[in-house]
Amino acid sequence: MKMPEVADIEPLPVSQARAGEPAAWDTLFRRYQLPLYVYVFELVRHEQAARDLVQETFIAAVRHLGSLREDAKFGGWLFGIAHQKCLQHWRRRQEVLLAEIPETYDDEQDGPDDLLVRREQEAAFMQLVNQLPLPHRAVLLLHYLEDFSLEEIARITETPPGTVKSRLHYARKTLRKLVEAKNENPA
Amino acid sequence: MKTPRDLLLARHQAANPKLDALRHAVVADLNRQGAKTRRPAPRFAAACRGWLQQVWLELVWPCRRTWAGLAVVWVLLLLINVSQHDRSPVVMARSSPPAAMMLTFRDQQKMLNDLFADHAPGPDVDRPRIFLPKPRTETLEQATV
Repeated sequence: MKMPEVADIEPLPVSQARAGEPAAWDTLFRRYQLPLYVYVFELVRHEQAARDLVQETFIAAVRHLGSLREDAKFGGWLFGIAHQKCLQHWRRRQEVLLAEIPETYDDEQDGPDDLLVRREQEAAFMQLVNQLPLPHRAVLLLHYLEDFSLEEIARITETPPGTVKSRLHYARKTLRKLVEAKNENPA
Repeated sequence: MKTPRDLLLARHQAANPKLDALRHAVVADLNRQGAKTRRPAPRFAAACRGWLQQVWLELVWPCRRTWAGLAVVWVLLLLINVSQHDRSPVVMARSSPPAAMMLTFRDQQKMLNDLFADHAPGPDVDRPRIFLPKPRTETLEQATV
């Protein structure tokens, strides 16, 4: 099955959704339902909870669309709602696993994001993503799923852009190491 | 070879049917609410709303700080203007001089007028004619002589 593209050619029908057209909402939700679910699931690690949170996100989006200032930022805004729903979920469950690791960022520049994962590395890749601390995982997922910019990720996670940069750098570096190590030792 | 995005989405592809059902439920709910509350808005009102929204988004919102600054300046100017033209009874009473002072001022002005009227030289036309009443017989004698 063909994956939905990150950069859509057709503009999203946000203005029609503002007018309350259900068809427009259907289009918007169809576009974001899977990336949103992946993001939420990878953070909460519970299928039913992830679906509930996606549904809550959709309902909140319908209610609060008036607070969205720029139609073009609908995606980031929607992920921001989902992120807040995840935080509420953790607070409810008293399972806040926001263990921080030192925010060290060396000046080494990230290379182009050409990371490709081979079939035999897929399980290891996912395992490594799962091992990342939550804040790093959130940043990495937002980056890979929707190709959000640092500023957008900072807005979604309500974190300073410098911290986002540091987390993303750390997460990508760790993943790259894994992929390279596997490439060198395919056994 | 897959990109991380492809990998992540493919891994959760199985959740799509349930997500479709969930989406349909939310949209159906939206439809029901819309049918209850939505009224056909007049076309003119919708156009006006769209125009206002466009103006807001394109003209006002991008330079909101500038507009806010201008608004503050205008409010300040208005306040200054109002404070300078304050005509409340209290201020009027405070600013008008007392009656005694006005009386003294009038007396002084009268005295000054009298003084200058007596000693000021000037052409005859300007000088006030002093009319002294005389008996009518005297005036008749003068006329005959």
